[in-house]
Amino acid sequence: MDSTGLLVLLVALPVTAAVAWWLRVRSGALRPAGGEGRDAVTGTPAEELVALTGLGVRPEEADLTVVQFSTAFCAPCRATRARLQQLQRARPGLAYVHVDAESHLDEVRALDVRRTPTLFYLDRAGRLLGRSSGAPRPEELTALVEAHTGVRE
Amino acid sequence: MSRSSVPVGAPGAAPVDDPVVDVRGPRFAAWVTSAVLVLALLLGSGWVVGAQAVVFAVGAFAGIRRAPYALLFRVLVAPRLGPVREREPEAPLRFAQLVGLLFAVTGAAGYLLGAPVLGAVATGFALVAALLNAATGFCLGCELHLLLRRVLPARTA
Repeated sequence: MDSTGLLVLLVALPVTAAVAWWLRVRSGALRPAGGEGRDAVTGTPAEELVALTGLGVRPEEADLTVVQFSTAFCAPCRATRARLQQLQRARPGLAYVHVDAESHLDEVRALDVRRTPTLFYLDRAGRLLGRSSGAPRPEELTALVEAHTGVRE
Repeated sequence: MSRSSVPVGAPGAAPVDDPVVDVRGPRFAAWVTSAVLVLALLLGSGWVVGAQAVVFAVGAFAGIRRAPYALLFRVLVAPRLGPVREREPEAPLRFAQLVGLLFAVTGAAGYLLGAPVLGAVATGFALVAALLNAATGFCLGCELHLLLRRVLPARTA
């Protein structure tokens, strides 16, 4: 029995558990942005909105615009993309913009994208409703889409 | 339908140059990897870490489905499970094997070249990544990719 190895093992196991717990709590959870967007007085877009519109995002053209940053080495990105494209077929008010993070590193830094998929949610007024990192939680995503695209049963 | 993890045109199938694998295979492989790395730490054995490095290398360079633990999964585990329900693309998995290989090579070199603390710490990092992947499906190597690209000098495509 190697005592250094045993010590590393005794550190590695709780570290793994802590990261797993953190992922469970935070990954994919919607973080509200607190109504950032165009300044009500000056009409100046917030920093995030400048970066997003620079990518060709046009929030005024849809009830809800979802912008997804993805990388090639990211399995949940593909599942998330498929989920949003599926939602989009049923909700004409939903716009979806897909951004390759690696070819837009300036925007990645400006928007502080650390993980993929990272999603930004914008309403028609250009307000940033919130963001999420990691595969979005299906029930949160569906609720957000239904709340903003005026779906009627 | 075949119960092997050979892709046979899954729904929303990826293009031909982007093969997919049964998602349960890599999770199984991550558990085996974790067990091997725990054994390596307990024995303080650079040879065990080195063997795991070879396994990572095969997965990264020859493809996930040629990796030893994937063969083990196909022969021993998959026949006992139900049909394939979900598949995932191979590219992120191969990249993660490459990151695992870097840590395993560092770990093996540390142990075998007389720096056992370095060997144990590098092996410990590989273990955290493998265990996280096994338990939650989270791919630490894949996440590091964008963070590295962010801090490296701009070479925007």
